Amino acid sequence: MNLFLKKRRRVVKKIMVGVCLFAAGSLASVLFAAAAARWKHASWGALPFAPVLIMTVVCLLVYKPLDLLFTRLFKDYFFKKKSYAHMTLMNFASDLALILDLGELANLVVNTFGEVLCLKTVALLVPNRVRNDYEIASAYGWSVSDAKRIRLREDSPLIGLIRSEGAHTLVRDRAVRTLAWQDANRLAHDFDSLRAGWLIPLFVKSEFVGAMAFSAARPEASFDEGDFHFFREFADATAKCVRNALFVSELKVANEELQDVQSHLLQSTKLAAIEQLATGLAHEIHNPLTIISGKAQVLLLQKDRNRLDQRIEEVLKTIVKQTKRAADITRKLLMFSQGSGAPKESLKLEQVLEDTIALVSYQTSLDGIEMTRKIVNAIPPVYANVHEMREVFLNLILNAVQSVGSKGKIHCEIHYQPQNQVIEILISDTGCGIPEDRLDKVFNPFYTTRSDGVGLGLFVTKQIVHRYGGSIRVESRPGQGSLFLVRLPREEVPASTVSAQKSFAWPLLKEEPLPREEPELGDF
Amino acid sequence: MKTLLIVDDEFEICDFLKTFFEEREYQVRTATSGQAALREIAESRPNVVLLDIQMPVMDGMAVLKKIKQDFPGVKVIMVTAVETREKIEEAIRLGADNYITKPLSLEYLEKDVQEKISHLTSPA
Repeated sequence: MNLFLKKRRRVVKKIMVGVCLFAAGSLASVLFAAAAARWKHASWGALPFAPVLIMTVVCLLVYKPLDLLFTRLFKDYFFKKKSYAHMTLMNFASDLALILDLGELANLVVNTFGEVLCLKTVALLVPNRVRNDYEIASAYGWSVSDAKRIRLREDSPLIGLIRSEGAHTLVRDRAVRTLAWQDANRLAHDFDSLRAGWLIPLFVKSEFVGAMAFSAARPEASFDEGDFHFFREFADATAKCVRNALFVSELKVANEELQDVQSHLLQSTKLAAIEQLATGLAHEIHNPLTIISGKAQVLLLQKDRNRLDQRIEEVLKTIVKQTKRAADITRKLLMFSQGSGAPKESLKLEQVLEDTIALVSYQTSLDGIEMTRKIVNAIPPVYANVHEMREVFLNLILNAVQSVGSKGKIHCEIHYQPQNQVIEILISDTGCGIPEDRLDKVFNPFYTTRSDGVGLGLFVTKQIVHRYGGSIRVESRPGQGSLFLVRLPREEVPASTVSAQKSFAWPLLKEEPLPREEPELGDF
Repeated sequence: MKTLLIVDDEFEICDFLKTFFEEREYQVRTATSGQAALREIAESRPNVVLLDIQMPVMDGMAVLKKIKQDFPGVKVIMVTAVETREKIEEAIRLGADNYITKPLSLEYLEKDVQEKISHLTSPA
């Protein structure tokens, strides 16, 4: 189509030149005849077309040298202008080597290239080694957010073409024309997704490090050999900078990963130390606690005894209760330090919530607390440890119960956000709230506002949530209530472990004795 | 007569458990070491053994293994000071019938012992 258009233009141009020359010849002969008639009667008066013909031939002969002359003059002018742009870009390319940030580099390259050459769009395509595909680092002439959405797979036709063609500038129309219609369609789609008419691959030796895609402001514009030569030079200079920037960004990622692993390692070392300490403590403390609490219980549960003094009975009950509280400290510490190795399974969070609410329902009904729950849209199963999840719910709900005291509301809600695969757990209460200056302390270990509290519940909850890569946040208005928001990323159930984990049962853990069931104490 | 053996290296723990269960018409014997426990079992064949895991010289696990090997009819309830998953898992694998953690809830413990004994007597 394009070719045909170009030819037609050439034909029209030639006709126009012919007509102009003829007109110029006629005009010249008329003028000449008029001028000559002043001095002497024209001898060719009998042939009125002869002067026209003669002058046309003269004009025709003079046209070519004149045309050449003008063309040369104009070309020189344009070439100077063009080479100035090229020079600017080349100087700029050598300065680029100093920029090591890929984003900054990409912005500078596309904007300068686009502005200096008056292009419509420019996009810099770079490889993403993590996802093993290609993405646009920056774009000129179209919105960067649109551009960032474009991804080319390694096996896409355009990338294939670049790899087979090497470091040659690709022209969309020319490349598409060489292929059969189906492949051509796919290739054209790749070009169009980059909004590109031309594409300069960036190679450092034989390593493919990216590509510059661009389109001209006028669709009919074309570039000549000189331009392509310049593109090649510019691409070579840019390619080196892009590769350096890519290396730097990969190094950054690797460094971050390393730091992450290191902090995890440090954390697990800390946890191991706490576990060791807690295990030792539990051994040493639980025995004396067992004796104290046991002896008190023997007295309380004595058969055929004389009725105990009311005051003594109260004291004994307090002893039992307080020994349990002391034992809970080490239990919670153990819970949080051991957890990382806890067996995981596919869990329904709404069921865990139900179970937990059932566990505290006795307490809440006594206190006249109204509990409501809401499950918003279907919650996918999570891959987690059931005890840890129960601990999260239990601590948050118990915290709410204690903050409400009596006569109030507690609302539990679970959401699922499919777009970012996050499960949100909301637990709000109409309790006393938390003063602003204490908001950042509630998750600290051993921080409590209750006289009989241990201050480990929310701390352990936070540790568990963090271990699952989630976050926990609290909002509160003193006197009106608090809201705890837990966000858990949905962890996929590893296919290989599903059956293994399901068969892993803790038959006796379920009928766990006293420690966690609070209401039992009231029976003494 | 319901018979019970309490094994714990802490004498005081044996003591109050003995008082508690004797009041409820159990015949209770105590042992403060693994070896003593095995001697007692051989001698008196109790229905249920309350066995502390953490003991010097011969620990609860070793005793449990020996009991299940030599006296498979005896029910064993493990008593742990620390709820360590590996320990519990190991005890269950070795054939322990239940486990409880310290500090003990005597009411729960009695219910559990009673249940184990009723299991023993009812089929026979």
